[in-house]
Amino acid sequence: MTTSELCYLTITEAAAGLRAKRFSPVELTKACLERIESIDGKLHSFITVTGALALEQARQAEQALYSGKDRGPLHGIPIALKDLYATKGIRTTCHSAVLENWIPDHDATATATLAEAGTILLGKLGMHEFAFGGPSVDAPFPAVRNPWNIAHVTGGSSSGSGAALAAGLCYGALGSDTGGSIRNPAAHCSIVGIKPTYGRVSRHGVVPLSWSLDHAGPMARSVEDCAIMLQALAGYDARDPASAHARVPDFRSALKDGIKGLRIGLPRANWFDENLGVAPETYSVFNDALKTLMALGAEVIELDGKPFSLARKANQTILIAEAYAYHEKTYQSTPEKFGSTVRRRMLEGAFLSAADYITAQRARAALNERMLANFARVEVILTPTVARPPDAFDSLDPNEQNLRPSFTNPFNLTGLPAISVPCGFTGSNLPVGLQIVAPAFEETTCFRTAYAYEQATEWHRRNPAL
Amino acid sequence: MASEITRDELRVRAVRAGLELSEDELDQLLPGVKRAYNQADDLRKLVTNADEPAAVFAPARSKRE
Repeated sequence: MTTSELCYLTITEAAAGLRAKRFSPVELTKACLERIESIDGKLHSFITVTGALALEQARQAEQALYSGKDRGPLHGIPIALKDLYATKGIRTTCHSAVLENWIPDHDATATATLAEAGTILLGKLGMHEFAFGGPSVDAPFPAVRNPWNIAHVTGGSSSGSGAALAAGLCYGALGSDTGGSIRNPAAHCSIVGIKPTYGRVSRHGVVPLSWSLDHAGPMARSVEDCAIMLQALAGYDARDPASAHARVPDFRSALKDGIKGLRIGLPRANWFDENLGVAPETYSVFNDALKTLMALGAEVIELDGKPFSLARKANQTILIAEAYAYHEKTYQSTPEKFGSTVRRRMLEGAFLSAADYITAQRARAALNERMLANFARVEVILTPTVARPPDAFDSLDPNEQNLRPSFTNPFNLTGLPAISVPCGFTGSNLPVGLQIVAPAFEETTCFRTAYAYEQATEWHRRNPAL
Repeated sequence: MASEITRDELRVRAVRAGLELSEDELDQLLPGVKRAYNQADDLRKLVTNADEPAAVFAPARSKRE
């Protein structure tokens, strides 16, 4: 097996190989570290590489596994974290000059949970500054580039997580998602990412962007890998005020049950065609994916997209108001430390009134009811993950982004679980993602649908030429 | 209409919010603030007196439980 083949194994394959002693945790870790060293200079997916720590953790995992102390499918698997998850003793920057030298004295719950599951920490990943806005050109760390074409963005804000997985630099990663920040880079980098139900995964120790919209969740190279990671991460945490007392099912239990008879809701009318609509190539790829799902036995039911379209306005109003409230004190004392992109977006929140914010939270409740009512007719809702392919850095136009429908925002507002799975490429070989949304706490339905689609197609087997 | 906010009004509101912004910064901010106000106005049309905010305070819940 070549180093590249080793680095592109899924977690499921790597876990099997470790137990069959075809390779060891130390070999997996060294392969990742060598690959990071050789190719990450052009991607900038890592801000901090914790090489010595990773090798020490790998040696411990090797010893434990070989002496029969198996902690489960993540034991001995090298992973990396978006640089807003607090890591005790390891710099956590949020890709910002504000926190450039912050070394937390505690771990985020998710950091600790993955360590407990036996993962090996390769390092901390680049992101959009404070998970906000777009790629940061004036941050202390370079913007992350897309492995499929380094002239293009990865989408964000979990940009390093998407790029590192697509480039074979780690086997799993954590992202966070307030308006699409797990699903957008998953789609643009042709990997899998799930935003679980609000409250499913603890946000304790995750630097907030917008408390009532922030979700923590896993990203990986296959649907099953995301299910494995979510299994470790899910559960109640008293330190997160939004944490849910919800039963945690076996997320892999229904993976192979198929989707015969599954009712898929398609909220096309009044949404897909708003303003500039969906880019033609993205739409064409999405329609092909829809045909594949129908060939697998799913039934498509058209839904009214209007409440989904309106949801973006409530999501953005809440997001900018909460983001400014969080950063207000720091901004007023050291405005020069914020990059221009995040500064401009965040300051919009300073001009909203209390009534504006509360109206958005009232609209949230009203829209939530209208969107949830659809689940009386369908079991999942389907959209493209992003309305257009990833932009080139030199033609980035945030105004145009606002003129395309956002397919991810509504599911932060509603807190519903939503997964992005690779579903094809444009003529320029840029990835397109398919978003599957299920009712609250029914991540198993997201996984089952995404797995059926993934196994019926070959998109997840493609790797970028690096 | 809030969406018709001018640069001069934005400057006044910035001072009220404790922000020291340059003229360039005000220019850059104006379109985004207009959009934010328009969004808030659109949301006002959606809600009725029966709609309470989605945020709920749970008095019995402690972060240290």
